[in-house]
Amino acid sequence: MSDRVPDCTVFLDGSAVRAVAGEPVAVGLWAAGVRVLSRSVKYHRPRAAFCLAGHCGACLMRIDGQPNVKACQTALREGQRIEHQNSWPAGEHDLLGAADAVFPRGMDHHTMFTSPRAANALLRKMVHRLGGLGRLPERGGELAALPSGRRRKVDVAVIGAGPAGLAAALTCAQDGKRSVVVYDEQDRPGGSLLSHPRFGIAAADALAAEARAVGVELRCHAAAIAWYPEDDGGLLAIDDGGVLTKLTARRYIYATGSYDVNALFENNDRPGIWAARAVGLLATRYRVKLAGRTAILGDGAYAHALAEALASAGSNVEHLASERVLRARGRLWVSGLDLEGGRRVRCDRVAVAAVPAPASELARQHGAAVELRAKGGGFACLVDGRGATRVDQVYACGDVCGFVGVEAARAHGHSVGRAVAESLA
Amino acid sequence: MKTIVCRCEDVTLDDVRHALALGFRDLEEVKRYTGLGTGPCQGKECMALCGFILAERGCVPVPFTTRPPVAAVALGTLARGDEEG
Ligand code: FES
Repeated sequence: MSDRVPDCTVFLDGSAVRAVAGEPVAVGLWAAGVRVLSRSVKYHRPRAAFCLAGHCGACLMRIDGQPNVKACQTALREGQRIEHQNSWPAGEHDLLGAADAVFPRGMDHHTMFTSPRAANALLRKMVHRLGGLGRLPERGGELAALPSGRRRKVDVAVIGAGPAGLAAALTCAQDGKRSVVVYDEQDRPGGSLLSHPRFGIAAADALAAEARAVGVELRCHAAAIAWYPEDDGGLLAIDDGGVLTKLTARRYIYATGSYDVNALFENNDRPGIWAARAVGLLATRYRVKLAGRTAILGDGAYAHALAEALASAGSNVEHLASERVLRARGRLWVSGLDLEGGRRVRCDRVAVAAVPAPASELARQHGAAVELRAKGGGFACLVDGRGATRVDQVYACGDVCGFVGVEAARAHGHSVGRAVAESLA
Repeated sequence: MKTIVCRCEDVTLDDVRHALALGFRDLEEVKRYTGLGTGPCQGKECMALCGFILAERGCVPVPFTTRPPVAAVALGTLARGDEEG
């Protein structure tokens, strides 16, 4: 299954690590046996990658002198300097981790500094030392060397190049009558296709090629960061590879997908507890061999697809479809789960397949209404049968309207793309 | 042992329950009291989780205000963004 051959050397806190150039730092370090990538901000709990999608913030490291870089979104390259931040003296041995034991259940910072006064001053100092993320960069940029902004006008802007966004763009552009551009924050198109064992890179590339063939412009490394309603009648700000693009479109389609969400049990943040789709990425996209035993939590279609794929690749899988997990075991890396009823499961990693939450913030900034839906995983965008939100010219499709998974998202994308094309005819 | 609801800001399930016991009833209040959703990811994971905890208690949660930027952006990208090239 694995054809990964280390071909570069990077330095983690000064020590050489062999890695595969081009893979994400978080994946390469994990494959090389590094277990702790970061420490949490208050209690200095050990953390490692959870989502591999740039969303959970658990993988922030200092890379080549820049603080708070997402290790899951940064490609490995020869000679890279990677450092743990906010841990002392090192990521796996962090003495500040004592804070976790000092506040066993949590802390209420509103009442922490109220009495007595002398102890207060000390405590305040300690908390300041504990908190925060990283140190400033070694070098600041030259203002003149920074890229200036750009303004763009298109007929249709699609945000998100997952199954819904690609399908919407391609259907909308098919008759060649309008300009359609898709922006995606990841390094390649595909979104949730990339983490699904039945689809993966080949399916993602095929759909992307189909879209390009009808004239759709696909832009990766391009994150939509905000909708500013007060500027020039409204504009969408996009961080397009470091260049700020101020975009206006005749129609906006939000196909922003969904975020991975954890399950609630004790020590649910232990390194080794991944979002199921991250484990899907490891197996499907990055082709890393999953040695040992994977416990999969959840009963959705994705949990079953992942369990099946891992088992047929010869991996040892324990699928806990409906059991209730009480706590995770293991200090720096998960070693097992305690289940309700006293059963104990040994494992080397956990894949949490909770229903992902709709990524609806941008659509909300743009005025779309949302509603909390248990089956949809969180705050889902409300749209009518054509995918229209309550705001003129603003549409949404796929998981952002409530989690539906790859196939249904793609179908929704096609139908919304058609409706948008008709609205412009 | 801690059950983490918001991993960016280390907000635990006990912290959220404590806020509810103090009478806070919506996401905006719980956010302001506990710091939930105020870290690098701005609530991408915990807002839904906390929404469901509130819904279990009979509240009808509305999301807290989403503010720009929704994804981390380098200050350098914004610094000269207004000058058009
Ligand atoms: S943000 Fe990198 S693992 Fe989630």
